Parts: sequence; structure tokens; C-alpha cells
Amino acid sequence: MAERDLADRLDETIDAIVARSDATAALRDRDLAALARIAADLRHYPRPDFKSRLRAQLEWRTNMTAASTMTTGASATAIREGFTTVTPYIRVAAAGLVDFLVQVFDAQETFSGRGGGGGMHREVRVADSMIMVGEGEAAGGGGVMPVSPVAFHVFVKDVDATFTRALAAGAASLGEPADRPYGERSGFVADPFGNHWYIATPRPRGEAEVARGPESVASALRTVTPFLHATGAAEYDEFLQRALGAVEEMRRDEGGQLRYARLRIGDGAVELGEGEPMPGSFLLYVADPDAMYQQALAAGATSIMPVTDQPYGRIGGVADPLGNRWFFSRPIQG
Amino acid sequence: MSQITEDDRLLIEAAQADPARFVDVYERYVDRVYVFVSRRAENRAVAEDITSQVFARALAGIGQFEWRGLPVAAWLFRIASNTLADHWRERSREAHDAPPDVPDAGELENIERRLTLYQHVERLPDLQRQVIRMRFVEEKSIREVAAALERSEGAVKQLQLRALENLRKSMGGHG
Repeated sequence: MAERDLADRLDETIDAIVARSDATAALRDRDLAALARIAADLRHYPRPDFKSRLRAQLEWRTNMTAASTMTTGASATAIREGFTTVTPYIRVAAAGLVDFLVQVFDAQETFSGRGGGGGMHREVRVADSMIMVGEGEAAGGGGVMPVSPVAFHVFVKDVDATFTRALAAGAASLGEPADRPYGERSGFVADPFGNHWYIATPRPRGEAEVARGPESVASALRTVTPFLHATGAAEYDEFLQRALGAVEEMRRDEGGQLRYARLRIGDGAVELGEGEPMPGSFLLYVADPDAMYQQALAAGATSIMPVTDQPYGRIGGVADPLGNRWFFSRPIQG
Repeated sequence: MSQITEDDRLLIEAAQADPARFVDVYERYVDRVYVFVSRRAENRAVAEDITSQVFARALAGIGQFEWRGLPVAAWLFRIASNTLADHWRERSREAHDAPPDVPDAGELENIERRLTLYQHVERLPDLQRQVIRMRFVEEKSIREVAAALERSEGAVKQLQLRALENLRKSMGGHG
């Protein structure tokens, strides 16, 4: 009976330790104190796959270090000036999205021209991030980049003001600005074309919130970061690592299921969360598009554009199992 | 200590000549760095994130590392300390947060003790190890663990108790 009581008392102590609440009473319990100390040390017991994931990240980094050493920066020049490795390409059926981005996020248009398919190809900068916009169903490769709303995480100085501007510009609210437990004040909107914008401002958190979970990821991200939704996010996370060499930098599981991950791809990043997919198109500037294309196919992607030389550079593309489309490009240099 | 520092020297020189060899530095020290960081991070995800950053910074700085005979661990703990301080600053917690001290002899002993404990967890009988992982890593409740293992809650509490008692015995004087 005493044994059973001890099991119950230990369990209550472990509940308190895991919940980061006060478990010091256990230290005054003669039978329990030594076990409680062991339990406290187990609170940070690492996840079984922790070391292997970090090692994989490190191997990727060492490969990049070796490559940049050998090519004296050739990999860096594969990216167009002002861009990062990952650039979202939003396809919309009609004009208007660029105006929305200018009005809401103070975007600056850096390029506008007729695309290969007859529609308009436009590029805008939002603070330190670039977004490409294709206007017209048939622009820039017909069905290769179909019209399909995508989602973004956007950091701004004042989420409430930006949220108000978004509604004034025709967006629909998906969630009023509120303080979130992950260290952000954020509000969510759908623009007139159906794209989702998770608008956020980092905020300091109280100790209780700090204890409950990870902080805002703002410090690790640029202003605009694609947010990928996936059904079966854990499996998709692994696919991105295999197909694109993505490096998982942060991960949050709940109930044994991946809820959120931050993945770095070169010097760009995407975020990933469990949810109904909103497949989009993404341009990846890489040193060797042929190798990336083959790597993605080997990981289970399907070809939508074999790698070829184009007037603007060498490019090929694949579709992944969720319908996201990834284009690997090495622009013409000089 | 002289053997350790000689091994360290060889590890560092190999990594400086070939960045791919930095993985050997990682394998040797990742557990210690993680334990050091985890005591100061607010949760496991942050501890893992910071540990990752420590080794990324160490890799980036390996070319500038000058061998002065100090253990590599001391260099990594210093990077970890600075990374934690950066993390606290980004979190805007308190402006006066200073980098935590690198471990003194007492904490080094504590780090080794926790590493030993983690190794003992790996040697627990399968069911007991599963209970420990589900309770502490996945933070499942007893009810959830019982459902996952298809056992009664009382049986899982007994498994949990036996696991902790086994660990206490294995740790002997270190517990």
C-alpha cells in the first residue's frame, strides 16, 4: 500500500516538474526526495532524434562551408542581388495584388515587365524580403505556376495599424490582432486574392508564458516568410529536408505530432505547420539547379519543368506531394 | 587532462583542415553543450535551438580558433554562454542580462552527472524507458501514456516508479 502511495506521490511530483510548477514539497518527503531529484534532472532529457537532426544540420553546413571555400563565393553569386535562396512566386488571375502589398506593407515595386506567357511579371520588396507576382493565368509558363493562394508570416512594427490597413485595402479578417502565447501580437487576414497573411509584431512575454513554450521566431526570420501548411506535417518536414536540403532549425511537437517547424533553405527560410495545404510556387536560387532537381525527384517530387537554359538563366521545376512547386534556378551572371 | 587536450588539438586541427571533420568535434561535445544550455533555456525546444546555434557558430569560427591549450569544451561553453545572452536580449527579457558564466568545477561535475543519468535511461528495460520518454520528453499525462501502452494508469505509475528507482540505484553516489 505504501508502495502504491509512493507511486502516486511521485507521479504528482513529475506532473509538477513537467509543468514547471513548484515541486519543492517533494524534497521534504523522505521517501520521495531522491527520486524527485532524478526526475528534475530528467526534465531536459533530450529527444531521441535530437542529436541525429543536429548532426544532419551540421553536415549540411560543413558541406556549404567546404563548397564556398572551394568556389570562393560562387554559391553566393548564384543568388540575384537583393534576393535570398527562397523567393515566393504568387500567381494571381488579375492585377491588384501589388497595389495591396504597397498599401498594406509599404512594398516597393522593383521590376515590372511582360512575362514569357504574355502576363505581367512583377517583383516587389517588403523591407528585406522579395516577392514575385505573376498576373494572368497563362503568364510565365502556362500551368506550371497555377493560380493558387498561399500563406505568409509577416513581421511589422505595428500589427494593429497594419491589420487596419489590410481591411481597408479589401482584405477579410481571419483573426483580430491579439497577444499570442508564442511571443507575438498577431492578426490574420486573407487578401482579395485569397492569400493569407499572418501579420505579427514580436512582444516581450511574461515569465509564465516563457515557461509554457517557444518564443516568437521573428529574430530568426526575414520580414516575409512563406508559411506552408501540410496534412502530415512531420512527414512533409522530412521530405523538405531530403528534397531541398532544408535544415530544421526549430520544431514544436504537441501530442506526438509536429505543430510547427522552421526550416532554413540556403539563406532563406520557410515555416511549416499542420493544416490544410495552400500550395504555392517558390523560386530557389541554387548553384547547381540540375543537382537540386535530381535530388528532389529522388526524394519523391514529380517533374513539372526539366532543367533547361532560359534567357534569364538555367531553371527546372518540380511539384512536391502537397502540390507546392519548387523551381531551381541559377541566374545568368554578369 | 593532457590526453584530453592533445585529443582536442588533433580534433581542431583536423576540422580546420577539412570542415567536414568538424562533425567529430560535434559528436564529442554535443551532449555536454546541450546539458549546459538546457539548464538555462526555458524549454527543450529553445535548448535544442541554441545548441544548434552554438555548433553553427563554432563551425563558422573554427578557422580563427587559436590553439592555446585550453580544452575545446571551454571554447564551446563560452560560445554557448554568448549565444544564451543573445537569446535573452532578443527575447527582451531584461536589459541587464549578462552572459552566464562558463561552468565552474561544480557545474562541470553536475553536467557529467546528468550525462551519466541520460546514459542510464538508455539502458532501462524497454517499457520503463518508453514511460520516461513519454512523460518527460513528450510530456504526456499518465492517462495518455496508459492509453499508448494499453495498460492501466496504476500499472504505468508503477513502471514509472521502478524506472526512477532503477535510475537512482544506477547513479549510486551520484544521485
